[in-house]
Amino acid sequence: MNLVTIIWSMIASACLTLAAINFLTWGRNREAWANLFFAMLATGTAAWTFCELWMMRAETPAEFATALKWGHVAVWLLLVSLVGFVRLYLKAGRPWLAWMFLGLRTLALVLNFVVGQNLNYSEITRLRHIRFLGESVQIAEGVRNPWMVVGQLSLLALVIFVGDATATAWRRGDRRTALTVGGSALFFSVVGFGQSLLVLWGIIQVPLTASLSFMGLVAVMGYELSSEMIRATQLSRDLQVSQAGLRENEQRMSLAVDAANLGIWIRDITKNEIWASDKWRELFSFTPSEPLDFERILRRLHPDDREVFEQVLTKALAGGGNYETEFRLALPDGGLRWISSHGQVEFDATGQPLRIRGASRDVTAHKQSEQETQLLRREVAHVARVTMMGQLASALAHEINQPLGAILRNAEAAELFMQDASPDLDEIRAIVADIRKDDQRAGAVIDRMRGLLKRQPLNTRELDVSELVGDVRALVRADAAARQVKLEVHVPGDLPPVRGDRVHLQQVLLNVILNGMDALDGTSGTENRISVIVSRNGNQTVEIAVSDTGSGIPADKLAHIFDPFFTTKPNGMGMGLPISRTIIEAHGGRFWAENNASGGATFRFTLPIAEEVAAK
Amino acid sequence: MSVTAPVVQIVDDDWSFLTATSRLLRASGFAVKTFSSASEFLAQRDTDAPGCVVADLQMPGMNGLDLQSALGRSRNPVPILFLTGHGDIPSSVVAMRSGAEDFLEKRAPKEKLLDAVRRALARDAHEREERTRQRELRARFDMLTKREFEVLAHVVQGRLNKQIAGDLGIHERTVKLHRTAITTKLGVQSVAELTRLTDEAGIFTASAQTFPKGQ
Repeated sequence: MNLVTIIWSMIASACLTLAAINFLTWGRNREAWANLFFAMLATGTAAWTFCELWMMRAETPAEFATALKWGHVAVWLLLVSLVGFVRLYLKAGRPWLAWMFLGLRTLALVLNFVVGQNLNYSEITRLRHIRFLGESVQIAEGVRNPWMVVGQLSLLALVIFVGDATATAWRRGDRRTALTVGGSALFFSVVGFGQSLLVLWGIIQVPLTASLSFMGLVAVMGYELSSEMIRATQLSRDLQVSQAGLRENEQRMSLAVDAANLGIWIRDITKNEIWASDKWRELFSFTPSEPLDFERILRRLHPDDREVFEQVLTKALAGGGNYETEFRLALPDGGLRWISSHGQVEFDATGQPLRIRGASRDVTAHKQSEQETQLLRREVAHVARVTMMGQLASALAHEINQPLGAILRNAEAAELFMQDASPDLDEIRAIVADIRKDDQRAGAVIDRMRGLLKRQPLNTRELDVSELVGDVRALVRADAAARQVKLEVHVPGDLPPVRGDRVHLQQVLLNVILNGMDALDGTSGTENRISVIVSRNGNQTVEIAVSDTGSGIPADKLAHIFDPFFTTKPNGMGMGLPISRTIIEAHGGRFWAENNASGGATFRFTLPIAEEVAAK
Repeated sequence: MSVTAPVVQIVDDDWSFLTATSRLLRASGFAVKTFSSASEFLAQRDTDAPGCVVADLQMPGMNGLDLQSALGRSRNPVPILFLTGHGDIPSSVVAMRSGAEDFLEKRAPKEKLLDAVRRALARDAHEREERTRQRELRARFDMLTKREFEVLAHVVQGRLNKQIAGDLGIHERTVKLHRTAITTKLGVQSVAELTRLTDEAGIFTASAQTFPKGQ
């Protein structure tokens, strides 16, 4: 054995092994084209190596020529797969250059078989023995084939193609890949073919050793493929870790969602699709397989709450982003369920809403206890008010009984004095003067009481009536729901601000609405409704009308409802309307009541439009 | 003993009501005196004069109930009649238990007020007569000697002279002499009358029950 045989055999067998491995890899994964090209590259290299060894050991010129001829097949395979590999790996290279190369090279291969002994020699005249790496090998001498230029042109095309692809990849930023794949392809091609050309033109007297360069190519490409594999493994491990993390997160999330009894949903606005968790479907009373759409869901909402819900949603979609709201569901079985819903809108780059994600929660129990608390609070407030009024009334009675008692006794005494035959007129005059004085005293007591009741000064400012109505609506909404009263509000959009004391006016409106609800309590009408209608009344005032669908005010009581202590309620004090009227009149407005033609009563009051606006 | 006409004494811190009430009572034929506070009344009133008190229940300083108890402890506890701005049940209960003649609202009908005043005056007259009689009886009993008292105690229990003599360790004749002195001093004719008078004066009421009668 000698070095040449050992080295060339080792190169060939190494290349064949690599080729076999990569063919198998490609066989298992047909999309691994890089592996296929690599396998072809290695196969071509192995075949060429074999041909080189054959040439070095040729016995006759004809044998040398045959070895070189078949060597061109190996070179074709090797170069074509190199182009494929480079194109695939660098994801660069002009296709027309590749096709041109392929054309030229294939032409060269054809010429190799049809013109002369092979592409390089028209005829090999003789073989010469030289010593190479301590062994005697053959080199050829003969007439060079002029068609060899086609092969050289194809090599030029190859170098241009690879150089261009490398430059593109480099510019793109894939510098490492450009350097290893493109750079080494360029380097080993130039070195390998350069040496071959020098040999074939007879400039240097050595055997062809292009297989060393091709081996270098195979080694670099093989290394590149392996590191690709390592990266892939790393990636898949990372993926596994992150997937495990994802699963963990998902589990945590579902634990939280279950614990909070949350129903989760996602609405894709562009596709108009809605996905919802099983819990959500249970809350909204949909079966797990029932198709969902927005209209269908909206119909589940209590009719009174739809409008408010749509307003909230529109605001969020218009750019608000997040929303939080509460509404009632009218369930198919006739039940009622309070839902607290929280949503987040996701927008695209242009600000168009893409999807909404949300969570819904059953707050019925919470609402009920809230309503109970509210009821309790109202009762406590009422008791406190009654107690206070009771004390006030008691003090009032005592203070007033004193002068009234004196007036009575004086009058009785006067009657007796006048029964005398000659009445003492001086005495009677004194009595009359005292009666007058005591009457004034009683009047002063009443004035003082009235002063006590309206002692708080008005704190007036510009007020938005729709806000005022909205505030009170929010205050009574739960109450109205509990008493099954439908509350309607109509406020025109272009209403000017009024001048008034927010807290006092809230009290008045609240009082009137609650009175309306009290009036509805006794009736068994099919639809209990209270409407608050705000309208502009000329240039000076805004009118607020609160109508109920109760039984109205009996005609004989209509004239007295604003009298203090006049009440039709078993535990009323009869102070609500008089105080309300006092407040409205202090604002410069009017307050009156009337019965509706269609039943029920309407309470109306006016408020002055803020001067700055009224002046316009 | 005074023979002056009974006076209705009105106590009220409200001048106007005080004047008006006094006018009505005067016009109705009563003698009237007015006081603007309980302490003024207690300081200035005639401690012997007959009559009654008409007082406001709620007054600053000494109120009606305080006045009632002060009056009850005095030598001349005339009946009291309360007036009030408005019915106050706890106070009225206290007042009535302590023997108030009546408890009226300030705006009560005139007849109710006048009737109550008349009743109070009648009660005062009766109680006053009773008190006078008691005082006279006490004066008569005060004339008896110590020994005569001892004998009287036995007599009202219905014991015979002989028994009394034995019990007291004296002669039966002496007992007879004592009895004669007692009947003379007290101005009675019979043992029955003597017993009634003793009862009325409230003498021996405690010991009387320890001895069964008719023994």
